[in-house]
Amino acid sequence: MKDCQKIRKDLVAFLYGELDQDDQMRIKAHLDVCSFCRDEAKELGFVQKESESLIPELSETMSSVDWETLPYKIADEVLKPEPAPDSPRLKKTWFFHVQPKWRPVFIGLLFGIIIGSLATSLVLRTPNLQVARSSELIFTSDFLEKADLEVARRDTLEYLEKSQYLLLDFVQSSSEEFTGMWTNEVALQKARDLLSKKKFINSQLDKFHMAKAKKICDQIEYLFYELTQISENLQPEDLKRIRDLIQERQLMLKIKLVKKELKNSEV
Amino acid sequence: MSMETGQQANNGEVYLLIEKIKNGDREAFVTMTRLYQRKVFALAYSFFRNKEDALDIVQETFLRVYQKIEQFKKGRNFQNWLLQITKNLCIDFYRKRQNKDHYLNEGMDISELNVRDPQAEETHNASDINRILSNCIKRLSEKQRMVFVMKQYNQLEYSEIAQILNVATGTVKSLHFKATQNLRTLASPYLGSQS
Repeated sequence: MKDCQKIRKDLVAFLYGELDQDDQMRIKAHLDVCSFCRDEAKELGFVQKESESLIPELSETMSSVDWETLPYKIADEVLKPEPAPDSPRLKKTWFFHVQPKWRPVFIGLLFGIIIGSLATSLVLRTPNLQVARSSELIFTSDFLEKADLEVARRDTLEYLEKSQYLLLDFVQSSSEEFTGMWTNEVALQKARDLLSKKKFINSQLDKFHMAKAKKICDQIEYLFYELTQISENLQPEDLKRIRDLIQERQLMLKIKLVKKELKNSEV
Repeated sequence: MSMETGQQANNGEVYLLIEKIKNGDREAFVTMTRLYQRKVFALAYSFFRNKEDALDIVQETFLRVYQKIEQFKKGRNFQNWLLQITKNLCIDFYRKRQNKDHYLNEGMDISELNVRDPQAEETHNASDINRILSNCIKRLSEKQRMVFVMKQYNQLEYSEIAQILNVATGTVKSLHFKATQNLRTLASPYLGSQS
């Protein structure tokens, strides 16, 4: 039985004559005495014999091939010049060699890349989103508006501050000091500068509807105008009238309040 | 088996042809193709049982030979080297086709395949037997099938098959035995009445 197992593994090789002479003889001798192995050899031999029935079909197919021209066709195909980059052969190498199950993934990726590129291109072409060139500074109208307002606020604040100092000198000085002060060209020049400044900030006050500041600035302007007109022939009763006017209108207090308000409204 | 395989060339002539091919000699390439085209076709056809597939393999084999001719070392058996390329192409082609067509053969238990066809008749004529055997051969594993067709239809010796498959001769003997045994098991429901 042990022999049979060993013999059976060599049976196919025996049938095809692949064993050396000694082994061929050994198996032949065993088959003469063992009916089980003989039956096994008969069945395997049947498969071998039946498989040979395919040989005529192979011969028939081979006879239908034109063996004379085939080598030239193959040579033409194999030895032809390198294909151009966009030739069908090259196309076949990158796409058709991808396994069919992965092709939808590749196609999806390709579409994704194309759509992504188009979307990026569209976004970059939108005027509002264009990046400013390094040599140019581009400000929005809103930013410029705010900048103008801030300039107006600071100019008004400066005008009120300078006016406050000048008026304070005027209110606190005695009659002699006052007469000396207004005959002094420096104080007079300051008042004239402030009058000029007022003309400049008028447009800003109107533009930004700074009504409260404009009202007080107008009163100060009127006062300085009076002072510059009458400074050369200033009488004590004029002095008193102007001082009363400042006190009556609470001009110093109003300047102080408007100044505070302007300081708090920094843009 | 009467099969034209072209005139036999000795090793010296083959090496001379190879040198000429390396130098871009078209005529040498044509001669080489003429010498071995039938052997390549017989192996590919035995494997696929399809003329067009076999012709594709023949063309692809000689393309590979031309591309790899620099790698061929003098002293090796050229025919074995050539058939090794053919064998690899057959297996690649078969696997790609398997993925494409969703063949169920690979990995399936042999007993699952050994199911009698309810439509099968009790007796079969010669063309039926051919068809049945072709289908049974297709159901063998790649290596068993390759060994079987190389032995049965290319009439190669175990030692040659071993060189082509790059395995030991004993492995070839074992694969051939298993292939024949499996074919008997697969085909017995159809051929039983004749055996």
